[in-house]
Amino acid sequence: MEVHDLLNPEGVIARLKVTSKKQALQELAARGAKLTGISERIIFDTLLERERLGSTGVGQGIAIPHGKLADLRRLHGIFARTEQPIAFDSIDEVPVDLMFVLLAPETAGADHLKALARVSRLLRDKAMCEKLRATDDADAIYALLTETTASHAA
Amino acid sequence: MDHLHHLIFFGALLVLASIFAGLLSSRFGAPLLLVFLGLGVLAGEEGPGGFIFNDFRLAYLIGSVALAIVLFDGGLRTRKESFQVAAWPALSLATFGVLITAAIVGLAAHFFAGLSPLQSLLVGAIVGSTDAAAVFFLLNIRGMQIQKRVSATLEVESGVNDPMAIFLTILCVELLSQAGAPQWWELVRDLVTQMAGGALIGFLGGMALVWLLNRVELASGLFPIFAFAFALAVFGGAQEVGASGYLAVYIAGLILGNRRHRASQLIGRFHDGLAWLSQIIMFLMLGLLVTPSKLVPDIGPALVIAAVLMLVARPVAVALCLAPFRFSLRELIFVSWVGLRGAVPIFLATVPVLSNLPGAETFFAIAFVVVLTSLALQGWTIGRAARLLDLELPASSDASERLSVDLTGADIDRDIAAYRVSETSRAIGYPFAELPLPRRCRVLSVIREGTVMAREKLPRLEADDLVLVVAPPEQMLGLDQLFAARPVRRSQDSAVFGEFTLEGNATLGTVADFYCFPVTTPERNMPLADFIARRLRRRPVVGDRLALGPIELVVQAMAGNRVTTAGIELEPYEVRWSRHPLIRRLRTFFARP
Repeated sequence: MEVHDLLNPEGVIARLKVTSKKQALQELAARGAKLTGISERIIFDTLLERERLGSTGVGQGIAIPHGKLADLRRLHGIFARTEQPIAFDSIDEVPVDLMFVLLAPETAGADHLKALARVSRLLRDKAMCEKLRATDDADAIYALLTETTASHAA
Repeated sequence: MDHLHHLIFFGALLVLASIFAGLLSSRFGAPLLLVFLGLGVLAGEEGPGGFIFNDFRLAYLIGSVALAIVLFDGGLRTRKESFQVAAWPALSLATFGVLITAAIVGLAAHFFAGLSPLQSLLVGAIVGSTDAAAVFFLLNIRGMQIQKRVSATLEVESGVNDPMAIFLTILCVELLSQAGAPQWWELVRDLVTQMAGGALIGFLGGMALVWLLNRVELASGLFPIFAFAFALAVFGGAQEVGASGYLAVYIAGLILGNRRHRASQLIGRFHDGLAWLSQIIMFLMLGLLVTPSKLVPDIGPALVIAAVLMLVARPVAVALCLAPFRFSLRELIFVSWVGLRGAVPIFLATVPVLSNLPGAETFFAIAFVVVLTSLALQGWTIGRAARLLDLELPASSDASERLSVDLTGADIDRDIAAYRVSETSRAIGYPFAELPLPRRCRVLSVIREGTVMAREKLPRLEADDLVLVVAPPEQMLGLDQLFAARPVRRSQDSAVFGEFTLEGNATLGTVADFYCFPVTTPERNMPLADFIARRLRRRPVVGDRLALGPIELVVQAMAGNRVTTAGIELEPYEVRWSRHPLIRRLRTFFARP
């Protein structure tokens, strides 16, 4: 399971203009709808339902919202870098500026978990996060996110 | 006279040298106690110091007092909650555990050191108990937090297992020095007196001490001295009547440390210092007492015995004694590995010397080598072992940033605490009027750049403000979390606590659907917290893990007995192991053509 299996260049938002967690999830759901053809409302509700169990803000300014969708055929990722850090109820209370959304088919099971673990490991890399924060071009970000996968796999 | 002045001067220099050596050694992570012991050897008759000390009686006296102080301080610092989690497992280890360890080590001594069966059992008894000084000290190194079930078990075990080892040692020494064997009922009577008597005297002594501290009017400087003298009286009194003074003084400390009384901070601080001094003196003295060249003939068998103790006897004893208590394999491994030997075995080895037993020097040599290897190998690797076994917890807010004052008077149930606000304090994020203070707490004053600020004009706290709060003692932890600097989260913390955090009151069914783990239909409506407690089948502690299908749930925080948040570990232990740098390196090494 590698990042380029989850993420297309169209799934990268380099400068997300949002001021709240709710607004961010709405924008991400909208991009998700474009990529998957599933209604924005359903995606938003799924992400929100997951947030109710506990924030997906994992600390150090990073959030990984995720959820399962019945009509999805494969895993879809969306990466966003916000212009302003936003409050996300993270465990360390640090506002979030890097987000990686993961949408999985209802039946994904183990693949879903593996992908989540992969994304979480990717964003735990401090050097990687610094580079992502310093880049505001979508294609460059896409290259960053996927290139390490290649070097890790080697 | 001159000789005495020499003694004072060099004694003081040695203590100072120990403190400086300790400072240096913390950079290398070397166990401090080993450094003290080493300094003692260097100062001794065969080192550059050339100081001859071979008065075993004096060593026994100083050792007893120092050990009593360390145990009392250990009791003072053991919280009631830790004791509740660990009491039964620790008791099992402290009784049957010591017996099993002594028996297995005895077998090794019989076969590898060529000692008679009774002599071999004596060796087993001498090294049978874990050392309170070493365990309390090495488990509480600043900045390291270890999962409570294992750390509390190890601490309480070390506090209560000396009587059994001492009893066995003295029994063997008596059997070896006299012809007639005592009747079995005499043995049982002695053992019961040691244990039950020690516990009872400790309990009554502790209660009496609390009662007296709250009633006798003393100069504040005398409170800690009073407690110290009282503790020694409990220790000595118990020994006088054939009960275990070591157990008694630990229990007395436990009671004093967990009861409300007006001198808790004075006594706590004083005894912290006193316990330090006791450890320095005890290990220095034991280093002085040993004559390295006399160890040489016994070093081979002694090393074998040390290896048997660490790799066979302790693990077998731990596995058998903790079998009824549902410890996980990782917890068992850790408890086995941290069976630290310290001053007690060396100290017990002076007993056969004092009784003029033949072969006493061999026992002493074996005890010394066992302690040395245990401190060096196990003591040096506690932190690494905890990390490797996922038993190290992320650091929490540091209580040492709090300055607090006891308000004396039995009817005032409040302390005053002061914090220097840091840039990373949680409190900075709130408007002053909306600070989420714990219950029954109130901010008295805020001092900024030397000026007392008018509270109503203060919009919010800033870094370097000094905040004074009046609060009941049980809310101090809550205040620490609000005002002390937030600990820096390390990237491996998320590895310990799982990738995502879930609320304890989340509905289990929903969580299970998200993360594909199997639950039964009646469980689906349960809150996550209840489910974890039910499946663990024991009182949860922070760091507990529950394997569920492909994932693991980790207890992240507790309020009382209830799990408030749990982490979800997407790649449980076994999977992550395969990514450990060492394993990866090995794999690439063997994959080479």
